Amino acid sequence: MTTPLPLWLAPAVVASVLAPAVYLTWVLDRWVGARVAGRRTSLGQTLASPLAEAAQLMLQSSPRAERPDRVTWLLAPASLSGLAVVAVATVPLGPMLHIADAPGGIVLFGAAIALVMVAVFLHGWSANSLFPLMGGYRFIALALSFEMPLALVLIAAALPAESLRFSDIVQSQVDVWNVVRQPLGLPLYLIATLGASFWGPLAFPDAPDLAGGTTAESSGAALLVWTAARYALLVALCAVGAAVFLGGWLGPGLPGPIWLAFKTAGLVATVVVIGHHVARVRLEDFVVVAWTVLIPLALVDVFLSGLLVL
Amino acid sequence: MTEPLDALFWLSSTVAVFSAWRVFRADSMVRAAYWLMGSFVGVAGILVLVGAEFLGLVLILMMAGEMTIMAVFMVMFMMNPAGLNPMNMVHQHRTSLLAGVLSFVGLGAIALLASFPQAPPPDPAAATSDLGHELLGGSMLVFQTAGVALLSTMIGSIALAAQRGRYGSAAEGSEEPGAPIDEEDA
Repeated sequence: MTTPLPLWLAPAVVASVLAPAVYLTWVLDRWVGARVAGRRTSLGQTLASPLAEAAQLMLQSSPRAERPDRVTWLLAPASLSGLAVVAVATVPLGPMLHIADAPGGIVLFGAAIALVMVAVFLHGWSANSLFPLMGGYRFIALALSFEMPLALVLIAAALPAESLRFSDIVQSQVDVWNVVRQPLGLPLYLIATLGASFWGPLAFPDAPDLAGGTTAESSGAALLVWTAARYALLVALCAVGAAVFLGGWLGPGLPGPIWLAFKTAGLVATVVVIGHHVARVRLEDFVVVAWTVLIPLALVDVFLSGLLVL
Repeated sequence: MTEPLDALFWLSSTVAVFSAWRVFRADSMVRAAYWLMGSFVGVAGILVLVGAEFLGLVLILMMAGEMTIMAVFMVMFMMNPAGLNPMNMVHQHRTSLLAGVLSFVGLGAIALLASFPQAPPPDPAAATSDLGHELLGGSMLVFQTAGVALLSTMIGSIALAAQRGRYGSAAEGSEEPGAPIDEEDA
């Protein structure tokens, strides 16, 4: 049982954790992208690239699509950021430090990820435009396929802890991490992470072949919020992955939050590198593989984890 | 402690009732579906406040998916591209009026006449476990096994149903045959 932060401090802690993480992820993404493309960029350029992009977006005008659903159109980027914040807040930062370590933590996280589907679909739908709408539909097909494996591997991780609370799940890995105990868990979780943050091989809704998909009609500050929210979502998913499969704050010597930051950074780097090195798969193929291979594997993961507990 | 909780209760119930009203005032299937989801989120907030945290969160988790699927299916069936065209969402006025009044009176009677316990909210984890025992009791294992069997059946039946598409076997590709050429017109 960890002690909660005072309520008034929680937003400040989330912001001070998430803002640098989003910036660093953004830098890493641009750096790996430049390396893959064979562009030589100086350290200063790389470090400044997110700021330059943000400044450029802030200065852009925001042309409006024809008769959009204006409220939803404005709220979609905001709700994606909000959901990323909720997801990050569920992760316990250290043995004595957590923001929102709810007794049903993995359900809270699952609910946030399920609502991501709503945010992305409405972002595509509300523009009243062809490509964004197709991006929205694509994400529904994608989300319905990755959410089952995601939920199942989280349930498997909850079994040895006999609790849905994230801090109990971390505590249950004192002897051996879940990545060893449940070898199927982390790979399946990473695939789901690629899907939930629509990244790299699973970047369907905002894809270049749809002229930006759900972002095709976006520009300016709204696009900046959307872009930052996607990085925040990736950080949130990786932080949960680090807590659930890599022992979260556990580690010798250093304080817990540092260990959690290292593990999260490792997962973020993995996803970003995959994103730049693995070509996008076909959506139809992914849906078939998800339902015929990934879900059965996730069920095997649940059964094996249950057997180990017995 | 009570006052913020009261404020949260009023907030959740206002969201629930307002969104439920908007479901019937919305002029598009997608809007109606997501207003309904908003209403469920309000109800979930109330569930969390009374200590049924698991139920509340699962309600949001399920409804996000359900409402999206419902919206997409309605759009597909209703020949209304993307549900973007305005359409009337209210039908069968008399029946629905009657059903609405009856369920309002029934639920209102429960709210006013039932005697609710004056106990502090239970520990959420204990409440979740109690709920599981209450719903399933000794048949937990049977139910879980049946759940997995149902899931496999669902996937299997979709695979079987999708095997033969409109234009032949799915394995051979589903290309639409060319339109038949009328020799006499040529």
